[in-house]
Amino acid sequence: MRFQDAARDARAVVYAGIQADPVVAAIGGLLAEASTAQRLLARAVMNGTTSEAADWRTMFPTLFGEAADGDGRARSEAILRASLDVAGRGEQARSQYRGAIVEALTAVLLGRRVPPATVHRERRILFDGVRAEIHPYDVTVELPDRAEAYDCKWGARGINDEVLLQLESANGNAQAEERRLLAALVVFDARRSCRVRLARLRPFPGVRLVGLESLDALGRAKAAAAVTT
Amino acid sequence: MPTVRVAINRAQAALATLTARGEAIDDEWQYVTDLEAAWRARLEEVAAARGGESLAPEAESAVDRLTAEAASIEDPHRAIDWMSTLPQAVLLALGEPA
Repeated sequence: MRFQDAARDARAVVYAGIQADPVVAAIGGLLAEASTAQRLLARAVMNGTTSEAADWRTMFPTLFGEAADGDGRARSEAILRASLDVAGRGEQARSQYRGAIVEALTAVLLGRRVPPATVHRERRILFDGVRAEIHPYDVTVELPDRAEAYDCKWGARGINDEVLLQLESANGNAQAEERRLLAALVVFDARRSCRVRLARLRPFPGVRLVGLESLDALGRAKAAAAVTT
Repeated sequence: MPTVRVAINRAQAALATLTARGEAIDDEWQYVTDLEAAWRARLEEVAAARGGESLAPEAESAVDRLTAEAASIEDPHRAIDWMSTLPQAVLLALGEPA
């Protein structure tokens, strides 16, 4: 099992520009420190229609009302500002930014548990005698004795057989080489919605699911202590 | 005085509107149907347990604005995404976990 940077085709070059936009790293960092409710705020704003900050404050009274503490409220305001920035970039751009933001968030959270230099983006995983997958994994952790591969999705709707099969195959190929590889899908959506999506797909027992409520598990000692699909 | 039941009814009506918009994506009809059923059931659980409770003014305003936001969404893809977001946000305003 070895890792390789993804091919730099035209799509990858454009997407790399989005990944490198400072707003992506900024929101990724904010969301890494955020509560589940604040992450839900970001999700709502980046897929909403309203551009008025006051409306969003009304929609999320627990984050902006009198009950919110000073630090929490300041973070909520920062998340709201950054999310409105992304939402204002137009439908196609916001879609690409949202994906990049989930990847950035995943990388930041993983960097709490493993040396950040071992967290990589857009990597392919190669196995001896196995034809390489075309699509790279969004985020990988590459350690001498084990590895982790993550695909990141904005919503539960992004879960499909193809994505799960690629992760499952990576897990199986690693086992065939007697290597340790954790394969997981990170979804910036409620676990309930993910379960609805998964219920109509065949099971992929080698793939873990990390939903909105369990994102912090990525940064804790037991990686992706979440649901097996 | 509005109650939690009233808020849930409004959220469920908004969810139905999003569902109708999301059903325009033929390939996602099953997912849209399943998603509505799952979130409707979760909202109903809350109404069954707390339906008679008075709604705090800020929660009432939140539900008002959330349902208005849902109603403003016309794009079917965005509507499917909001089918998950709306109930979570309503539950949060009511002090409930997703």
